[in-house]
Amino acid sequence: MAKVKEITRKLEEIQKKIKAEIPWEPVGPTPMPEIPDLRNWDMRLLKTYAPFYAPFCDLCCFCTYGKCDLTETRRGGCGIDIATQQARWVLLACLMGCSAHAAHGGHILEFLIEKYGPDKKIDLGGSINIEAPHIRTVVGLKPETLGDLVIAIEYVFKEITHLLDSTAMGQEGSYLDYESKALHAGMLDHVGMEVADIAQIVGFNYPTSVADTPLIDLGWAAVDKSKPVILFVGHNPATSTVVIDYLRENNLYDQVEVCGVCCTALEASRYSDRAKVVGPFSRQLFFIRSGIADVIMTDEQCIRTDMPIEASKAGSALIATLDKAMYGLEDASEMDTEEIVKQMIEDKKHFAILDPRKAAEVAAKVAMEIAPQRRKEWLTEEEARELSQKCNDCGMCEQVCPNLFNIGAGIAEVAKGKFDLIREQFNLCVGCGKCEAECPRKLPIFKIMQIAASKETWKVRAGRGPIMDTEIRTVGAPITLGTIPGVVAIVGCSNFPDIRDIAEMVDEFAKRKYIVVVSGCSAMVAGMWKDADGKTVYEKYPPNFDMGGVVNVGSCVANSHITGAAIKIANIFAALPLRGNYEVMADYVLNRVGAVGIAWGAYSQKAASIATGCNRLGIPVILGPHSSKYRRLYLSRKEEDDWRVMDARKREIVDTVEPAPEHLAYVCETKEKAMVMIPKLCIRRNDTPQGRAIKLNHYISLHKKFMGGGLPEDIHLFVRRDPDIPLVYKKEVREYLQKIGWQPREPVGLPTLIGTYPSKVPVDAVIH
Amino acid sequence: MSVIPYHRVNVLTGIKSARLIEDAQEYADLIQKAKRPLLVLGPLLLKRSLDGKLLIEYALEIAKAANIPTCATAQVRAKMAELGVKPDSFYDVVEIINALKDPNWRGVKKEGNHDLVVFFGIRSDLGEQGLSVLKHFAPHLKTMTLCKYYFPNANYSLPNFRKDEQWKAFLESLIDNLKKGA
Repeated sequence: MAKVKEITRKLEEIQKKIKAEIPWEPVGPTPMPEIPDLRNWDMRLLKTYAPFYAPFCDLCCFCTYGKCDLTETRRGGCGIDIATQQARWVLLACLMGCSAHAAHGGHILEFLIEKYGPDKKIDLGGSINIEAPHIRTVVGLKPETLGDLVIAIEYVFKEITHLLDSTAMGQEGSYLDYESKALHAGMLDHVGMEVADIAQIVGFNYPTSVADTPLIDLGWAAVDKSKPVILFVGHNPATSTVVIDYLRENNLYDQVEVCGVCCTALEASRYSDRAKVVGPFSRQLFFIRSGIADVIMTDEQCIRTDMPIEASKAGSALIATLDKAMYGLEDASEMDTEEIVKQMIEDKKHFAILDPRKAAEVAAKVAMEIAPQRRKEWLTEEEARELSQKCNDCGMCEQVCPNLFNIGAGIAEVAKGKFDLIREQFNLCVGCGKCEAECPRKLPIFKIMQIAASKETWKVRAGRGPIMDTEIRTVGAPITLGTIPGVVAIVGCSNFPDIRDIAEMVDEFAKRKYIVVVSGCSAMVAGMWKDADGKTVYEKYPPNFDMGGVVNVGSCVANSHITGAAIKIANIFAALPLRGNYEVMADYVLNRVGAVGIAWGAYSQKAASIATGCNRLGIPVILGPHSSKYRRLYLSRKEEDDWRVMDARKREIVDTVEPAPEHLAYVCETKEKAMVMIPKLCIRRNDTPQGRAIKLNHYISLHKKFMGGGLPEDIHLFVRRDPDIPLVYKKEVREYLQKIGWQPREPVGLPTLIGTYPSKVPVDAVIH
Repeated sequence: MSVIPYHRVNVLTGIKSARLIEDAQEYADLIQKAKRPLLVLGPLLLKRSLDGKLLIEYALEIAKAANIPTCATAQVRAKMAELGVKPDSFYDVVEIINALKDPNWRGVKKEGNHDLVVFFGIRSDLGEQGLSVLKHFAPHLKTMTLCKYYFPNANYSLPNFRKDEQWKAFLESLIDNLKKGA
């Protein structure tokens, strides 16, 4: 803990907040860490995984001294240089993301405490004792009630304020310190997400302590458009749960169809397995423009900012239900319900209604009233062909496409009555609508693309929340020894180079007996593919957190359960105390837990924040090509970097040579390259010979599959001794090693970074 | 050439733009003048063809004509193996850029860092970001692109060719000029 805490009353206050007197574990060195408390850990990480900046803009335009040109060696009016400016942007992005989740958590807590009171017990079922690994590790608190979660979220709020303060003009001047702050924000994000999801599970009775959650209907064809349709868009389930309650209580649930886009859909389906999941964020605008939704209810995060315009165009009624996004609409929270319904039907007026109960009643009444009068038919191929005739192939649509494809060519084919190309392109479309906005002939491109949208339905497994302690006990040893080759977390948003990539990656790694974990929009699109037997990955693979399982933890905020599982391995399997003991947990994960995150379609600031939180915890993340626009990666230089660790058993520093893991934040251009990087980034220094051989077997075989045969050119860095070489490639690898003059080296007994940098944590602390 | 307003502080657009070059002879001269050029090959070279000839084939002809070492990114090496060509190095695009920005890096031939890096076949968003890294953090080298569109963050770029025929003509002329100058 920072020195300042020792000489003030701060430590005493922290101990009071975290109820330090309850001795469930000794309090570690960093309960409720502030900005400087984990800085040395960050700097150690950043020494090996140096920030790699790709400026998205050459300028700073934050203050009235600017615009300041930061090219070449120029500094801005405040003295900032281009690297530090990028790091400041990264911190701001992480803070936006962290705030979104934390505010979500804070709102849900308020909502539930209003309903149940602060003493409502946290009970995640018989298989989960470590209910909140992040809160326990970071905050140092074992939360027992909703009221305890308030302590955790208030800590996050406070830290966010300090971090945001540092981005004001004329403050931090070091890119490394900005990175340390970004890592701090990322860590806080996982606490905020955990607060949100635990509160939701407790307050809404979501599934918990169960793997085999229901299979939910997925796809817009799953929505019964003959009924009045209420669509939820966003993330926060306070609204959707109340709407479902209202429909149930009034015997209307059979008459009204309830569905969602983006994470709020996953939340609704955790509450009721009859709620339909339309699809990911990238399908939002398509679905809204289809007009199938009679009433659209927005909550927060990942909702289009032009929703009132789009709702009006589609003839749908819109209710904004949370203060985060009120769109300039009249706040009708205190207006008479019947009057709101009347104005929405007769005047086609949209409203903000912040009282969920009132919003639910209005939504149900308006949907039932307007649905019979609305046309909800898909465009026919003939209609699409006719609309496409107006295209003059000007190319403007291609120039503005963030996924860099030529939709104009697809439209030109439709005009000829050919639909194959546009069906192919629909898989590439990220749903931004820029093409249509740019079209000088005002072609309704999104409407035309309706003919490309599959009318097929799929299945997605309902989010199951935390990984169970019982599962951790089973997989802890094989993961840390390497005999389960890795945990592959395919998570996040839908800015995919190709929507089909996700299911392909899930299938490849589940087949190879990795543990595959999914969340958010990636969890949905993983289900949008069927094998030859007509099965989705959720039907093809078991739902257990075990080798070959495919586990959907839930929405964005459920990502905290994936990183939480890594902490649980250290705590449950290795019996290392976690309370206020972040460095030890992160060091364990970095050196021993072969986990990698893949945010293939990351687009939001939330994804930046989640990924950065993974990085501080020692989990590498692979990003898709669009994510180069996040401006920063954490890359090593393989043979040229510092791979020394402390062997805690021998108390000596050892140069392991092996870049394991090689990078912390990495962008791949193609899914083929990503699938080669995944097994490599699961390699850890702690692997046993058997485990290492299994991991190298996958690395070599995927390299051969996608890189045209031959061995990976860096294979020698990961072979410590002959038993590390996979049996099937023994001869080939031995020949290669002999050719390049490779020498065997001893595996490290107990690898740790503790002891290689200034830290208050003693080396003894990592011995279990 | 971009025009910068006199009171640039108010309206600066933020692009230190690439020099646009349409003359293949000028491109060939720049490549041949370089002491240690490098050709970075991206996966779009495997997807696109001009008149039935894959872009990777043009790229390999350029490398051969100018005797430029190659760096295969993503899965390009697989196709090169099929064509019977071994790249001089394998790095993914962020890795080669990370190495290039270090002035003390010894380059793919271990003879010193490169002074001209030619990019061909990287998707434009990632390519532009990579070029931005080198623009800001690698003043010791120049960058060039061979893709169909203008890349402002490079030092030298082709224009936005409206038609594939124009691009094809440029690439063929470049290969001819490099062969002549060899």
